[in-house]
Amino acid sequence: MNKKNLLLALMFITAILFTACKKDDPVIPDEPELITTLNYSLTPIDGGSAVILSFQDLDGDGGNAPTINGGTLEANTSYTGILELLNEAATPVENITEEVEEEAEDHQFFFQSDLSNLSFIYNDTDANNNPIGITTTLTTGDTAAGNITIILRHEPNKIAAGVSDGDISNAGGETDIEVTFPINVL
Amino acid sequence: MFYRKLIILLITILAALNSFSQDCNFTLNGHVFDETSKLPLSFVNVFIQETASGTTTDEDGNFAFDNICFGEYHLSFSHIGCDAQKIHLDITKDTLIKIGLLHTPTSLGTVVIEGKTNELINQANLSISRQTIEDKLNENLSALLENETGVHLIKNGNGISKPSVHGLYGNRLIILNNGIIQSGQQWGNDHSPEIDPFSADKIVVLKGASAIEYGNGNLGAVILVSPKRIEREPHLHGQINYAFESNGIGNSLNARIGKYSSKLAWRLNGTVKKSGDKKTSHYFLNNTGITETNLSIQLEKSWNDNLYFDFYGSTFNTTLGILRGSHIGNLTDLEQALSKEIPFFTEENFSYQIEAPRQNVSHHLFKTKGKYFINENQNVELVLAGQINNRKEFDVRRSGRTDIPSLSLIQYTGNIELKYSNDFSNQWKLTLGNQNIITDNSNNPETGILPLIPDYLSWKNGFFGTLSKSINKSHFNFGLRYDFEFQNVATISNSTPREIVRFENKFHNLSGLFNYKYDLPNKQSVSFNTGYATRNPGINELYSNGLHQGVSGIEEGDHKLNTEKALKNTLEYEWFPSTRFSLSALAYHQNFKDYIFLEPQDEIRLTIRGAFPVFKYVQTDAQIYGLDLSSQFSLGNSFLSMLKYSYLRGVESKDGAPLIFMPPNSFFGSLTYRVKNPINFSTKLILEDTELEITNKFVFEQKNLLPDQDFVDPPSSYNLIGLKLSSNIIFSGYKMRSFIKIDNLLNLKYRDYLNRQRYFADDTGFNLAVGFNFKF
Repeated sequence: MNKKNLLLALMFITAILFTACKKDDPVIPDEPELITTLNYSLTPIDGGSAVILSFQDLDGDGGNAPTINGGTLEANTSYTGILELLNEAATPVENITEEVEEEAEDHQFFFQSDLSNLSFIYNDTDANNNPIGITTTLTTGDTAAGNITIILRHEPNKIAAGVSDGDISNAGGETDIEVTFPINVL
Repeated sequence: MFYRKLIILLITILAALNSFSQDCNFTLNGHVFDETSKLPLSFVNVFIQETASGTTTDEDGNFAFDNICFGEYHLSFSHIGCDAQKIHLDITKDTLIKIGLLHTPTSLGTVVIEGKTNELINQANLSISRQTIEDKLNENLSALLENETGVHLIKNGNGISKPSVHGLYGNRLIILNNGIIQSGQQWGNDHSPEIDPFSADKIVVLKGASAIEYGNGNLGAVILVSPKRIEREPHLHGQINYAFESNGIGNSLNARIGKYSSKLAWRLNGTVKKSGDKKTSHYFLNNTGITETNLSIQLEKSWNDNLYFDFYGSTFNTTLGILRGSHIGNLTDLEQALSKEIPFFTEENFSYQIEAPRQNVSHHLFKTKGKYFINENQNVELVLAGQINNRKEFDVRRSGRTDIPSLSLIQYTGNIELKYSNDFSNQWKLTLGNQNIITDNSNNPETGILPLIPDYLSWKNGFFGTLSKSINKSHFNFGLRYDFEFQNVATISNSTPREIVRFENKFHNLSGLFNYKYDLPNKQSVSFNTGYATRNPGINELYSNGLHQGVSGIEEGDHKLNTEKALKNTLEYEWFPSTRFSLSALAYHQNFKDYIFLEPQDEIRLTIRGAFPVFKYVQTDAQIYGLDLSSQFSLGNSFLSMLKYSYLRGVESKDGAPLIFMPPNSFFGSLTYRVKNPINFSTKLILEDTELEITNKFVFEQKNLLPDQDFVDPPSSYNLIGLKLSSNIIFSGYKMRSFIKIDNLLNLKYRDYLNRQRYFADDTGFNLAVGFNFKF
């Protein structure tokens, strides 16, 4: 072996490198886990048309800011609340609420409001008789303006103190959803 | 070649008398000296394995054995503060040998020159020896470096750690695995280097800018992890190491076997590790287990002393659990986790189970090197290497997706390197080289998540030259390097519909160094080093885009970042007046233009998962400066003490605002007591080289930080005490090294600033480790 041969080998390999210097197109992953949309429809128990609170972020984390639509509720009224989670970036649109229902033991929605006389009651339970929160009853108090925050926790400790009553303090787990809607109670 | 002039082993057979005489009438005389100061070493234990006889050296470093029979022998040498050495010897006549032992603990600043072939390390560095590696079998690569001055660990729990040298880490720190730049996802603070330290015999940290041979990015330091050449030992030899540790109930086993032959020398090395949940002072850290399986093979072949060839292949495979309670969602979750004294998901019971969140990482390396000696002074070297790095990170996910990784990257790297060196007769030494590295990084779309790091192809081509010269007491060293880097990047947009956005970059980097060392009287020396280097922004700094679940923040790169430029000056003073005392001080100052770092933004980004903090890669002018002090001294013939102190500060140049994630100052002290004479329990059971060591490590609170620069205040200072008892057990002529070690003796509750797990949980508590090393 001599230096000339080494040099030739090096030049040959360098030439190969030069010919292949464009990265192939990456495969754009499907994002089945993405939740783009949350709809909270509130139907007055005594009849009337539903109010829909919606949060929509079609491009996921980052990118464009989400669209948030709040709503107006009547004072001293009970509503049936139904949550719907969608992935609208997929075609056809995927219903994520079903995924949450399938893993109900590992999920729980929490409802919070800065309006002290606004109350939420869970209307559904998982196999262990703990609440989920896909359906709820919301009861408004007197006239006020404020916010409703809806949180979905994955793998919360559902038997910790207060959690089944909707107190998130001891729940733990990680947040899959946390959205806040402005509301007016008239 | 290495074996002609092994640094630690200088054997000169001088006398040739009585070549014909009675079989058992030979004498073996020897002289042992300190390799660094060349002064004689007294009280060195010398042991002949075959005859199970031992002696110690006298005041002049001499020893003698009489009535030695004709035959082959294995001798071992050990001394307080030195690495034990073993040699193979054919006794055919009266023999005189000379042995140089290297004082290992304070080799900061030692000039290490291996062989004539200019593996020149001419500047501030420190090294970890094989014995230290063996005594830390239960640790990973980074942890081996933990107590060295100027070296700190960036951790994510106990199992994941990466070194930071003089405040620089990640892209700025190069790790060489057997001469090849370790390639992988080095950008991530939660990514450990994928190297089995047990495949190595020596780990050297080059702190100066002298590491010019090893590629750009070396604004920081270079860590060399290298196995030594296979000993010229015609017999089959090997060793078995085993260690147990109580914290995590971990077991580690390593075996090494090798044989030299002029046809082909070979060595095999394998390591398996398994440990479960670690424990803090009072609760378990659930899901922090580790498993590891590593194997390496080393082959060497020489032809007529002119042509030398070696092959090295290794595979490293690990599964690392991440504390379940540190896996969180948005900012609200983080705030809640910060307020918890004990993390969520903490359980009463210990478990080996590793569930999500976890990392599965494998790294494979092969390397071949050919070296041709043109003549006494010149040689050329060609290196070909390939690496495959496969990283999968699993998070807790919905609908059975926990078994699908959320990050899945595969990286292929190829290296071609050519090097020429020439030792001119008049003390000039020249090295020239070219390095080509091609990297192909791809995301596996199986994740169902937009990738944080894009797919890319990069090609680096670097040319370097170093020149050194010694004139009397002055030693000069110059180096120059140019690197070209080409990047072809294919990112995926995070707007809808998703589309591919391409980038192509060409960067030019230049680095240069000058080193001057002057030998003062009384074994003192002063050296000055100045180095300038540029580093182009890395792929993560340019194109990161998305949620980094590990740090629960949105990370955004900036494709307009400039090349980072740095000027580093170091001044070092060393004093080795005797084998009983040494002192070394290293001051450094590094001035950055366009220092790239991940800055927390005021902005909070709203997503359906709630609000997330936004981190952006930005540039600023910055300065990092510090001081490393270390000293070692003997008290009588039985005590050895070591003191080390590291001071470091990093600030932005414009307003003096602190840089985040800089290591806090630390102090390390140790005191070793050595039992001078072997302890004889019976003629068959002897304890030799028994040592008891007490260590103390104090880490100061990181006060150089503004309150709004972090989610919580940096943790308070802490002081850890450790104990280690080690001894060589000789039973019926067989020798086994054993140790008992205690970390965090007082089971202290503490948190460390550079450990990201500090947001959620305490650091590890009391740990008892027991280990055995048997060489055959």
